[in-house]
Amino acid sequence: MLRRGGRVTLLVAWLAALALLGLFVVTHLSVSTDLRSFMPAPTTPDQRLLMEQVGEGPGSRLLLLAIASKSDEQLADLSQQLSAALRKDSSYTQVLNGSFDIGAIDDTLLPYRFLLSPTLDHERLDTAYLRDQLEQRLDDLSSPAASLLKGLLPRDPTLEVLKLAERWSPPKSPEVVQGVWFSPQHEALLLVLTKAPGFDPDAQASAIDGIHRAFDGLPEHAGASLIVSGPGYFSVVANAQTRGQAEWIGRISTVGFIVLLLLAYRSIGSLLFSALPIASAALAGIAALIVLFPQVHGITLAFGFTLLGVAQEYPIRVLSHRRADESAVQSVRDLWPLLLTAIASACIAYLAFFASGVNGLRQLAVFTVTGLLVAGFSTRYLLPHLLPARVHDVADMGWLMRARRMVDRLPRPRWVPVLVAVATVLMLAFAQGPFWQNDLSALTPLPRDLLMRDARLREALGAPDVRYLLVLQAPNEQGVLALSERIEPALDALVARHAVDAVELPSRYLPSEAVQRVRQQALPARDVLERSLAEAEQGMPFQPGLFKPFVDDVQKARELPLLTPQQFATSPLGQRLSGMLVERDGHWLGLGTLSGVHDLNALQALSQNSGGAVRLLDLKSAAESLVVDYRTRILHALLGAGILLVVAIIIALRSFRRAWHVLAPMTLATFLVLAVERVCGVEVSLFHLVALILAAGLGLHYALFFERDTGDAAEQRRTLHATLVCVLSALLVFGMLAWSTIPVLRAIGLTVSLGVAFHFCLSILMAPHARQD
Amino acid sequence: MLSLCANASAPEDAATTRALVSSLGRPAPARTPFAEARFMKMLDKPLMVSGQLAWLGDDRLERTVEHPNHEVSTIANGEVTQQREGRSSRSFSLKRAPQLQLLLDSFVALLGGDAPRLEQAFVVQHSVNGPDHWTLTLTPRDAKLAQTVSRIDIDGRGNEPHCMRMQEADGDVAIDLLGAYAARMPATPTRDALVTLCEGD
Repeated sequence: MLRRGGRVTLLVAWLAALALLGLFVVTHLSVSTDLRSFMPAPTTPDQRLLMEQVGEGPGSRLLLLAIASKSDEQLADLSQQLSAALRKDSSYTQVLNGSFDIGAIDDTLLPYRFLLSPTLDHERLDTAYLRDQLEQRLDDLSSPAASLLKGLLPRDPTLEVLKLAERWSPPKSPEVVQGVWFSPQHEALLLVLTKAPGFDPDAQASAIDGIHRAFDGLPEHAGASLIVSGPGYFSVVANAQTRGQAEWIGRISTVGFIVLLLLAYRSIGSLLFSALPIASAALAGIAALIVLFPQVHGITLAFGFTLLGVAQEYPIRVLSHRRADESAVQSVRDLWPLLLTAIASACIAYLAFFASGVNGLRQLAVFTVTGLLVAGFSTRYLLPHLLPARVHDVADMGWLMRARRMVDRLPRPRWVPVLVAVATVLMLAFAQGPFWQNDLSALTPLPRDLLMRDARLREALGAPDVRYLLVLQAPNEQGVLALSERIEPALDALVARHAVDAVELPSRYLPSEAVQRVRQQALPARDVLERSLAEAEQGMPFQPGLFKPFVDDVQKARELPLLTPQQFATSPLGQRLSGMLVERDGHWLGLGTLSGVHDLNALQALSQNSGGAVRLLDLKSAAESLVVDYRTRILHALLGAGILLVVAIIIALRSFRRAWHVLAPMTLATFLVLAVERVCGVEVSLFHLVALILAAGLGLHYALFFERDTGDAAEQRRTLHATLVCVLSALLVFGMLAWSTIPVLRAIGLTVSLGVAFHFCLSILMAPHARQD
Repeated sequence: MLSLCANASAPEDAATTRALVSSLGRPAPARTPFAEARFMKMLDKPLMVSGQLAWLGDDRLERTVEHPNHEVSTIANGEVTQQREGRSSRSFSLKRAPQLQLLLDSFVALLGGDAPRLEQAFVVQHSVNGPDHWTLTLTPRDAKLAQTVSRIDIDGRGNEPHCMRMQEADGDVAIDLLGAYAARMPATPTRDALVTLCEGD
């Protein structure tokens, strides 16, 4: 034990080191929230496509907006103003509200209308066609629509721009009232495509905030309400809900934890000092992540702090096991071999996460292993020098003596473990329902009314299903566009048969170069066009030379280089196309979205007839296969860690028999938790597995310490005291989580609470000393 | 012909205007034949159509063109729907056709005898051109609408409007002869001739 001055110096140095580490963390930490880093590396092409689509695909970046509670006229105004504001913001790649905005077509792209519109596939710009068109325009001019078309006429007498606008509007448009989309419930509807990936809740949250800010900035927004829906919004809601409950529960259990430690040790000093190893562990863990990874995932931090809860046990053991007449340094020295075994075995268990090959879980492994080592070594080499010189020996507490006597008197028949093992096997064998939970979204379910609202808006907007994608494969982009053109008639037939409500293919936005070239070659030369136009205008009242801008555009279109996806992508409309074309391993994929799939077999037949060029991708089953792969990897990693753990414990205890006494209760308790949850109808998810590992880590500690029990009755009482404090604090923290309404938190809370209880009971019942009495 | 006795003193004028507008009201549905000549810069001859205009009550108007081609346009619920023989119908929002909005406002207010509504949408000026002969000049109050339609003149006699002239900001003008006057549309009209006809001969 250091002298007083030494203690102060050590404390100051330790706090200063923590402050420096804290400063480093605060200035360098960059937290990512992209859920994909918690997914395993995809192996099949479908899984890889899924991973991209989950984040970048148009389906996941689509937000559905509805403005309500005002008159139709005011809502239409708000819809126009909001879309104008959002179009100016580069965070949104596409904003649609049903009104056709000629500005959406870039002026330099306007001459391309002859190459983009299908008109020239079945018409020629000859006298007869022009005559017919001009006659129609004359009718238009004497009709109420005159004012709409008057400005367009000199440049576009065949109204190619309107044909394109019609072609590019969503396949199943909602009703248009006052010039903008409306739902049957009198809400103005908008579709917004965000630049931010769909499953990055933070990026989506700022995109959604941007929409609300733009809306609140509109002069006449007061009284109107804006509703946002879509996958991005859901990820934000789920994230906020989980975070909200976790924080609320965390706060309560922290208070409970402090009260518990105060009751157990009756020393504020001990309490404060024992927090130092944990604080060091957390900061060192984050610092290690910052050094090793460019970005730290938010979930890593959340889970990491939970898993680090094991480390709280190290100072607790030191406090509980200390004799009144013994210096803290000496008591730690006695305890250290066992503590080191506990630390090493917990590290081995958490290393399983590193072997999973999933980036997020690797971060988790780095964080927890670093944290455990720092907590363990600072408990061994720093903490004892700070603890008060004189302490209250817990072994002398009256209630503890009675508790220990009671525990010792418990019957420990040899058949108890056998009975528990048989019961576990039976429960596992006869549990009803599927064993594994493959649907990750089931763990963060959304309120039913949100889902209903989303379904309603999706239906009204004809927005594509998020589940199915049509994948077109070809050696290059032009091949994809040509393929898309080839299957268009077959898909149109399916739409007509109501096998599917609508299909959106890449060729709808941009025809292949071959088609563009044919259309370009069909455009007449200037003199020919001028002659045809003059003949067509015969006897019509149009002023001479009125259509010169039209003739100029046709000439421009004749000489234009064909429109490539790259060039098209620079316009707002081309953004939509670039989301539908992706390069992959030297070939290109085109992604067609489907709305309202009614006859899956018809679509599958279409893909079979294409000889593999067209595939129907079910994102849900791809996601589930990904989860299955994921779990297999984790289970393999766990198996490896388990074997390593057995070896480590045998080496540390230098005895097979002693290792058996430690490992048997831990293993049995782990399977018992699994069995009880299965009998209660719980489907096991990845989060349950993570929680089981945490519980096993805690259980291993209990078993190690109970196994160590020597004939010294006081020391046995101290072991019971330390273990009780650990068990109660774990039950307090995780028992609170088990009450959460969010399945992820409940899964973790319930599993760890059950685990702690079973591990504790089985460790006591299967501890060796009592049987040897 | 008597001398032009234009605007009397303002309050008195406002009262007579209101009395005039109320006298024009008739029960829905009200139908009247029309003949329209539209003079546009784009065209070297006016566009001529004729048919029937009908007020169906509320904000619903129907414009049936019988000559030269058959076409029915309906304005209802903020939507304009056009139906032309042999083609699929086309519809668009009233918002995108400010002329129509003004036509609707003026027409419905006049046929409903609804002076307050008329005054809500327009600055109304009343002038008397002869015995029983009057002109209501309507200037849109909405600045945005006024950028496309600068004014509408409605001419009539007694409680019978017979002319509606819509002056667009770009110089184009549409002149509709209504009721008995529809039959008096010349074969090759000029602006001046029609204005003279409307202001009372």
